[in-house]
Amino acid sequence: MTGWAQFVESRGAVLEARVMQHIILTAIPTGIAILVGVPLGIWIWRNPRARSGVLSVTGVVQTIPSLALLTFLLPFLGIGYRPAIVALTLYALLPIVRNTYTGLAGIHPSTLEAADGVGFSRYQRLRIVEIPLALPVIVAGIRTAAVISVGIATLAAFIGAGGLGDFINRGLSLDNTRLVLLGAIPAAILALVIDAGIGILEEALRPGRKSSRLWVRLMTFTIVVLLLGDGLIWAARASRPAAPAPAGATSGVIRIGGKNFTEQFILGELMAQMIESHTHLKVVRKFDLGGTVICQQALLNGQIDMYPEYTGTALTTVLKKPVIPDPDQVYKMVQKDYEQRFGLEWLPPFGFNNTYALTVRDKSAQKYHWVTIDDLVPTAGSLKAGFTAEFLERKDGYPGLKRVYGLKFARTVDMDPAIMYHALAQGDVDVISAFSTDGRIQAYHLRVLKDDKGFFPPYQAAPVARISVLKAHPELKTALAPLSGILTDRIMRQLNYEVDQEKRSPAAVAHDFLLKRHLLQARVASNLRGTD
Amino acid sequence: MIALNNVWKSMDQGATYVVQDVNLKIEEGETLVLLGSSGSGKTTTLRMINRLIEPTRGVITLGDRDIQDIDPIELRRSMGYVIQDVGLFDHLTVSENVSIVLRLMGKPAGQRRMRAAELLEMVGLKPDVYSRRYPAELSGGQQQRVGVARALAADPLYLLMDEPFGALDAVSRDTIQQELLRLKSALRKTIVFVTHDIFEALTLGDRIAVLHQGRVQQVGAPRDIIRKPATPFVKELLEKPSRQIETYCLKAGQDIPPWLQETLEPDPAPSGAAPAELSR
Repeated sequence: MTGWAQFVESRGAVLEARVMQHIILTAIPTGIAILVGVPLGIWIWRNPRARSGVLSVTGVVQTIPSLALLTFLLPFLGIGYRPAIVALTLYALLPIVRNTYTGLAGIHPSTLEAADGVGFSRYQRLRIVEIPLALPVIVAGIRTAAVISVGIATLAAFIGAGGLGDFINRGLSLDNTRLVLLGAIPAAILALVIDAGIGILEEALRPGRKSSRLWVRLMTFTIVVLLLGDGLIWAARASRPAAPAPAGATSGVIRIGGKNFTEQFILGELMAQMIESHTHLKVVRKFDLGGTVICQQALLNGQIDMYPEYTGTALTTVLKKPVIPDPDQVYKMVQKDYEQRFGLEWLPPFGFNNTYALTVRDKSAQKYHWVTIDDLVPTAGSLKAGFTAEFLERKDGYPGLKRVYGLKFARTVDMDPAIMYHALAQGDVDVISAFSTDGRIQAYHLRVLKDDKGFFPPYQAAPVARISVLKAHPELKTALAPLSGILTDRIMRQLNYEVDQEKRSPAAVAHDFLLKRHLLQARVASNLRGTD
Repeated sequence: MIALNNVWKSMDQGATYVVQDVNLKIEEGETLVLLGSSGSGKTTTLRMINRLIEPTRGVITLGDRDIQDIDPIELRRSMGYVIQDVGLFDHLTVSENVSIVLRLMGKPAGQRRMRAAELLEMVGLKPDVYSRRYPAELSGGQQQRVGVARALAADPLYLLMDEPFGALDAVSRDTIQQELLRLKSALRKTIVFVTHDIFEALTLGDRIAVLHQGRVQQVGAPRDIIRKPATPFVKELLEKPSRQIETYCLKAGQDIPPWLQETLEPDPAPSGAAPAELSR
């Protein structure tokens, strides 16, 4: 328990910032949804023809999985809080619109007849009778929307929007339960506090409540102040010039991106620390982005300047070309195409090849004499495979594997990379689509099966950078040059192991490695604290 | 004076008419009761007077002005309106409910409170007890008193009342009817009162207009309606209560009054021929 207390305390400052971000990520969309949703609810109440249309559109939006919606918005809004706020607003809309309509529809007809009969104008009827009578139901809708937003906002970290989801994602990526809890517990508390707070307001608003008016005013005041305060903070952040705009090339700030798994954190740190050590540029780390597409989009939008990518992924996922077995050929091809099509440059590879690797428990391999992928074919019909969603879809993943090896598993389960290794070690699945440099292969006593037909394409890792940034800062290439060829499969696996199993921070692992290779100048050491 | 001239109303683009060729004059200070069963067009007729419903054909005048020339909001504020379901605003106090029209007209809060207290007193509710209560805390009869007070707030010349006491129990209804009579003579309002209850019509009406299937059957003082029903429908309408009185008298061991005997005389011929005689 003291360990936990210390752990929380050591992250105090970051935790506070994340909580604040999370409140903003919740409050802004809820606020916008109120401003849009309440008038929309009133409108559909008065226009029955528009009603089913509006309710089904907002309803359909609600059924789109949050990650899909966030990803869909990327090309238009890039990464960061903007797509998150748009997506969260869309989700918050339905409960508010529906409850506004329901609240109004629940007013007794005689009340409205009396209002008309004694001479209310339309606006007076809305302000004095309809809104106040519907308000408890409307507030209940706002309550639902706010609580939903707290939950969905944790997912916004996938696209770099920050908030408590950052801890959760990072914890999942690094297989670090304490980090997950550091995000999940405050998020749950936040949801409960918001739920209870608005609940009290809702109760106080019920018609015919005596002595409740002071309370209502007080609560409303508090909520308005909170919303306004958030809005101001947000506006201040948004207007700060360095924030999300594609400013990197000229401002002396280099943004380094990275995907959401351990190796990417380490590679990103290696790049970042080399730049910090050997240039005067400032580095902003935008790690933990939710996938290849998101990183690529962020590069193209100028929201990040570079990130580590794999040649095989670039070839198949980004360029959508067929698999080629020869590593050099692949590297040359992506290098040429990236330059021509995107204005991006592939720097020299780090050295290792992190390809997909069909992986099994070492014990099972010994028992059934599995060495190559071919050896699996006879028993595949009784095996359960845990594959990442990407692997299940990609041509160089399971579909190709079936074709080339004639491999067909009894069942395949869609699994997050963070839990895949654990699931295999525990016996929940029998085969996984591991990555050949993953530290957990060693740690969990797993075995990589040989790809004797050369099916998996080469996945050499190398930094991909915007050419305009490299031109503006020629010192970048010099700073990164020592990383070329420095990491073998073995070394990479070891570094991953230190993070995944020994629970060291990627920053510290990268730092120690660079120190051992005498690649750092002393001054970077002081920057290390507080990053994880 | 309110006058309806050849007023027609169709709810289905002229296929059928719920109000057919109605002509009525309501004099200053009188109470005219629109008496009829459901579907007779009495409520529709009433609601055309404050333009909650617009007539399909015909003209309604207030004094010498066509009400089409008066802004509907202004028109409604110049006429008190009371309905059976009362329609109090649950989120406002009794005092706020009573003075709501003054609020709509932008009168200051102090004046509204004073007027509300005055009106509550007038309808028999102690202001210091009831002002700050909410409608849900009142009985049905008390709620309807608040409804009447609300209608009187702006001191309108006219009161439109749509079965205001229809949902009350017999005792409350009787009390509140008596109070309305008292108010009426004290305030000298012109009242149009809709009901399906013959005794209520006889109690409150200076004149009664009997409506049936959208048409006015007869207009006249209660005495004329009872003694000289103009159509078979009116006669039939009055027969049932007359029999009730007959039963009442018999049980009490009293003689049936001669005028009642007249109306109770059995038809000499099968129905169809007789009413024509009676209407002469």
